[in-house]
Amino acid sequence: MRDVPPMSWTGDSATGTGQQRGGPADLDLNNLDDGRREAEMAKETVKDQNEMAALKTGHEPAGEALLTLEQARAKLAGKTGKKYWRSLDELADTPAFHEMVQREFPAEAAEWIDPVTRRGFLKVMGASLALAGLSGCTKQPDEQIYPYIKQPEDLVLGRPVYFATAFPFPTGAIPLLVKSDAYRPIKLDGNPEHPFNRGTSDIITQATLLDMYDPDRSQRPLYRGEVRPFIEFVAAFRAMAADKKAGGGQGLYILSDTVTSPTLAAQWKTAQKSYPQAKWLQWDPVNRDSWYTASKTAFGDYYDAQYRLEGADVILSLDADFLSGIAHPGFLRLAADYANRRKLQPTPSNPNPEINRLYAVESTPSTTGFKADNRMAIKASEVAGFAASVAAALGVAGAQADASWSSGPRQKFLSAVVADLKANGGKSAVIPGDQQSPAVHLAAIAINQALGNAGKTVVYTETVNPMPAIQGDDIKTLVADMQAGKVDWLVILNANPVYTCPADLNFEQAMGRVNTIVHLGSHVDETALGAHWHINNAHYLESWSDARAYDGTVSVVQPMIDPLYGGKTPQEIIQSLLDDPDMSGYDAVRTNWIGTLPGADKDFAWRKVLHDGFITDTAFQPKTVTAKIGSLSGTPAASAAGTLEVVFRPDPNVYDGRYANVGWLQEIPKPIVSMSWDNAALMSYETRGRLGLAEEDVIEIELNGRKISAPVFSVPGHPDDTLSLALGYGRQNAGRVGSGPGFNAYLLRTSAAPLFAGGAKITKTGKTYPLAVTKSHYTDHRSVFAGGDGSGTHSLEGNEAMERGIVRYATVADFKQHPDFAHEENIPEDPKPNETLFANWRYDKNAWGMAIDMNSCVGCNACIAACYAENNIAVVGKHQTKTGRIMQWIRIDTYFEGDLDAPRAHFQPMTCQQCENAPCEQVCPVGATIHSPEGLNVMVYNRCVGVRYCSNNCPYKVRKFNFLLFSDFTTPSLKLMRNPDVTVRSRGVMEKCSYCTQRIIAAKIAADKQNRDIRDGEIVTACQQSCPTGAIVFGNINDKQSRVAKLKAQQRNYGVLADLNVRPRTTYIAEVINPNPDLDEAQIQSAPVNS
Amino acid sequence: MAQIFDRSSNALVRMSLVLTGLIVIALGVSLDELQRSPWVTRQGQRAEQPVPFSHEHHVMGLGLQCQYCHTSVEKSGYAGIPPTETCMNCHAQMWTNAALLQPVRQSWATGASIPWIRVHDLPDFVYFNHEIHVNKGIGCSTCHGRVDLMPLMYEQNTLQMEWCLNCHRNPGRNLRPTSEIYNMAWTGPTAQKPVWCSTTGPKDGVPTAQTVDCTTVDPSRANPQTASINMLPAVYEGHMADGGGGARAPAALDYVKFTSQDGLGQFLEKQYRIRTPQELSSCETCHR
Repeated sequence: MRDVPPMSWTGDSATGTGQQRGGPADLDLNNLDDGRREAEMAKETVKDQNEMAALKTGHEPAGEALLTLEQARAKLAGKTGKKYWRSLDELADTPAFHEMVQREFPAEAAEWIDPVTRRGFLKVMGASLALAGLSGCTKQPDEQIYPYIKQPEDLVLGRPVYFATAFPFPTGAIPLLVKSDAYRPIKLDGNPEHPFNRGTSDIITQATLLDMYDPDRSQRPLYRGEVRPFIEFVAAFRAMAADKKAGGGQGLYILSDTVTSPTLAAQWKTAQKSYPQAKWLQWDPVNRDSWYTASKTAFGDYYDAQYRLEGADVILSLDADFLSGIAHPGFLRLAADYANRRKLQPTPSNPNPEINRLYAVESTPSTTGFKADNRMAIKASEVAGFAASVAAALGVAGAQADASWSSGPRQKFLSAVVADLKANGGKSAVIPGDQQSPAVHLAAIAINQALGNAGKTVVYTETVNPMPAIQGDDIKTLVADMQAGKVDWLVILNANPVYTCPADLNFEQAMGRVNTIVHLGSHVDETALGAHWHINNAHYLESWSDARAYDGTVSVVQPMIDPLYGGKTPQEIIQSLLDDPDMSGYDAVRTNWIGTLPGADKDFAWRKVLHDGFITDTAFQPKTVTAKIGSLSGTPAASAAGTLEVVFRPDPNVYDGRYANVGWLQEIPKPIVSMSWDNAALMSYETRGRLGLAEEDVIEIELNGRKISAPVFSVPGHPDDTLSLALGYGRQNAGRVGSGPGFNAYLLRTSAAPLFAGGAKITKTGKTYPLAVTKSHYTDHRSVFAGGDGSGTHSLEGNEAMERGIVRYATVADFKQHPDFAHEENIPEDPKPNETLFANWRYDKNAWGMAIDMNSCVGCNACIAACYAENNIAVVGKHQTKTGRIMQWIRIDTYFEGDLDAPRAHFQPMTCQQCENAPCEQVCPVGATIHSPEGLNVMVYNRCVGVRYCSNNCPYKVRKFNFLLFSDFTTPSLKLMRNPDVTVRSRGVMEKCSYCTQRIIAAKIAADKQNRDIRDGEIVTACQQSCPTGAIVFGNINDKQSRVAKLKAQQRNYGVLADLNVRPRTTYIAEVINPNPDLDEAQIQSAPVNS
Repeated sequence: MAQIFDRSSNALVRMSLVLTGLIVIALGVSLDELQRSPWVTRQGQRAEQPVPFSHEHHVMGLGLQCQYCHTSVEKSGYAGIPPTETCMNCHAQMWTNAALLQPVRQSWATGASIPWIRVHDLPDFVYFNHEIHVNKGIGCSTCHGRVDLMPLMYEQNTLQMEWCLNCHRNPGRNLRPTSEIYNMAWTGPTAQKPVWCSTTGPKDGVPTAQTVDCTTVDPSRANPQTASINMLPAVYEGHMADGGGGARAPAALDYVKFTSQDGLGQFLEKQYRIRTPQELSSCETCHR
């Protein structure tokens, strides 16, 4: 091709396309021969994807048209009515945002950015065009059937079986019911019979399924990097144990993550009799040290606090993010109880349900803060002062108020909180956050006691974890002993201290002083590389164990599948120290519990436990304890001028980094920030403006002489002069997905200040780092006809949220006066059924519909992960996410309202609305998206030719297109994970939410076989099933007795963009908030308009 | 300047235009034919299986019932391929040295599956479900043909979408009583071989097999014992009697006589609560 003279225009188009990217580098590349050139191009693209360096996109971050706070406020000031926005660009109406809205997809979305160059694509395409007419005639390849040799008797192939187990997590186990297809776990959901979580789950639990099928899991034991049989390790370990017996186990150290298994604790207790000098230490970087310290101080022992929010009229969160995920102990129950008090659905027993009120002070914007009726963002170091001031105002002896809360808006907030708490003694709850200091926890204990909440809304129980320990002390002890040469054998069980250990301890260097290090872990991670022995761990879905849910109920963890790679459990390793070293994990767990089971027939009782998944009536009984509080004060140390405070938080998705290699968790945009694939230095707009930084600028953060580089990102409602850093990123050896993204915040974290630290200095490096933020992706250009003003800037997002009534809410007082507020004001009326050109559909039998309660939705993302698992949704990677190709079928739209620094936020799950008058159906040229007799917009993948008209015509922007081959068709372990009832989509196909049509069909078949109608509640969509707060309800709207029909009959029910006459089947229940009337004015004083 | 093309070339042009049209049509027709040809659909092709298993011998010759091997056909979407153990139930005792059965014995000894070639292979985006079909009156032979006459298994029908839709748009033409599902020789009622059906009317939550009873033996002439079992205390109003093309058997008032598939189909559609053609041919029924 390169020999074709420039004159010739016929065959030269391919050469031309080579120059598409422009620039001298490409021109040089044109001189290479074809193959090499393409290899170069591919390499370049890969480099792009890996480093994301200097990537230019049409949608430049706000940086270049950097909007100062004053400008933003000025923009807001002129507007009347409620004003919503989703990103700063949008708020500012920057040229970049205009450009963005003009496009159907974000910049680059329509280009080919993959290792196949455009030229290569044309070649391939030419061939496919030639065959296009024949492709329908191609023969399917021969497929083989491999039947069983002996089929298990109870197995009916093609029909899923459900088994009960539990996901052990440091903050308490999540009881599960696992859907198993031919004994492959394919979907995890909460155990509906369990008293604690009643069938709900969360994003991390959902994603542990992919964690098990992770192809990068360690697959065999290694000794100094060489593959060895496990038996060899056992021999060495037992020889060591025999040697050490005489010395009582001196020199044997075990370092584990938080021990959750009572059996493991019991094993260790037994082992200690023979090895009294051996030490067991625990270390999780995100731990409960603050709480345990406070508990020990107040009660003299370690207890757990359970909050019973069903009885709490007023809740105060002291930097406790109890609504966003299981990082907060007891999350599932807390979220459910919180939401039940906000549903405002009259029941016969409670005709006038009262709404609760949530106050939050927080140092990092979280869903809890934004769900709060009144929220105040303060520095992490100031929370203790606030807590002490509340305690002082409530008359707690020894509590000293902090001076900064004695005047101004702070004083007003404090006094409002105090007054509300006082008025609701015994009916309130003060919840401290685990990422806060012991002083805050102590204050919370004192306040709850002073208010008479203890024993009512707050009860203290035994600890869920059988071996509570101050882990910060444990790791310090361990490293000191390692440095002192006291450690001969160090057995690390499922911990990754090289990555997570406080930076000042220098664990990696101390490892050199240990004779033998054994690492049991799921991956050959940072710690495994430094260990002598690495043993591959069995995933919890592959092993026998036990754990307690946060209410104390004992769950048995049972294997759902034979270990894929023959992994081992901590129980199996510790058992080697005992008299019966070969006892299996099953026997160990069974022996531990069978004696406690009720009834004479223990075997029967045990089988029932395995069936149920938990041992009934093992929930903890509340302890009657009285707290002894010494003195309480919390005035923060003065910080040096010009420095910032740094707050460390577990990442809402990858937690402390252990789930870094789970693609779903990396890709699902995190709450509030809508960022995937990275963490960033989060700060307020004010601080960012003051420091002269733009988003995506890389800064160097220096804290006590330690430095890291991180990109900047600003978050609405972030307190000024602090940086929030999410832990869990910047992994080196996590696997193909987890190695690389983000920066490692552990490098700044010291044992002295593991939660937050003052005195950080910031320098701009001049580099930029692109972040994949999805919040501006779903924009649409509205014509005048469709309700726009013709300027092209009207979008589904913020600036039309008010005029179009996408988000509707009222305060309780408003709601009582105007129960029909969701249909009042200037919201466009929904057209009447006959106002359409198209013939109305008739739905004689079933008409599926969904109602989403905006009051209950806490924006925790559990539904998104559940949808990924149920519907085989592909992970596309950071680069593709940035260009707007993320495949999530359901997203949580976050609408901010009001001031940049103290906004209110509204979470709106947005997915296909299954319109009755669907715009997508009318434009599909090939009938690939059509209307079903039950009102579903069904998507027929094998008909889709990929013109994307449907997505263009969708007002909600919920259709997702497979621009490239995103689904992994090759990795064997991932094939096992897929839901066999859902097609794995290939390239060039549009896809979207189907209301889990496979579940509808399954229910129909079950019902048809029995000649009956489908019962209400028989079909549960994946998102509904996972939702911790029951915000999503699905059912037949033709059945007026169904839950969904009753919800839709409420006055608060409204359809998003229903004025377009698309008649969405999914409707929303408008939010009712309950802000303190005394406080509301002060709270949004700085906002342009008061609601 | 002289004309390049002679006047006679006009005819040539016309002819080539017509020819081009013909070629395009011929190409279209042949592609269409190719698409439906056994080469693509595998209709009638006998795959080379590891063991030349004869359905004819086992079903017709020995009288094995379909579900002896295809155990899950009534309870799962997947009918099930028998495990090696099912073969060995008999072949541990008989034909123990037959060369043809070597792969079976090998599978049993080594624990490796017998790699059968799938004969009825739907595309992966099609979700066919056996259980609902056999529970609603579609017999095995409707789709699979006379398996009992097939020494080597082959695909009787194309399994193409138009073939599926033919039935989904008019399910009545293939419905048969659920008691006849496994009857390979079932042909539907005729004047010479009528079918009598009685019903207690569809009841909520009660499987069809318990509310509809059909027989090919004239209930009025059957011996008293059979008749008493078959005669349900029914209150069937008999409004199908005329429309169904059948006439009431004089001696058994509760039974309706059907002499054509149309009549029986309409009757069963109602009794089995078959969904409407509109529902059955909606895309999500088979694609998701």
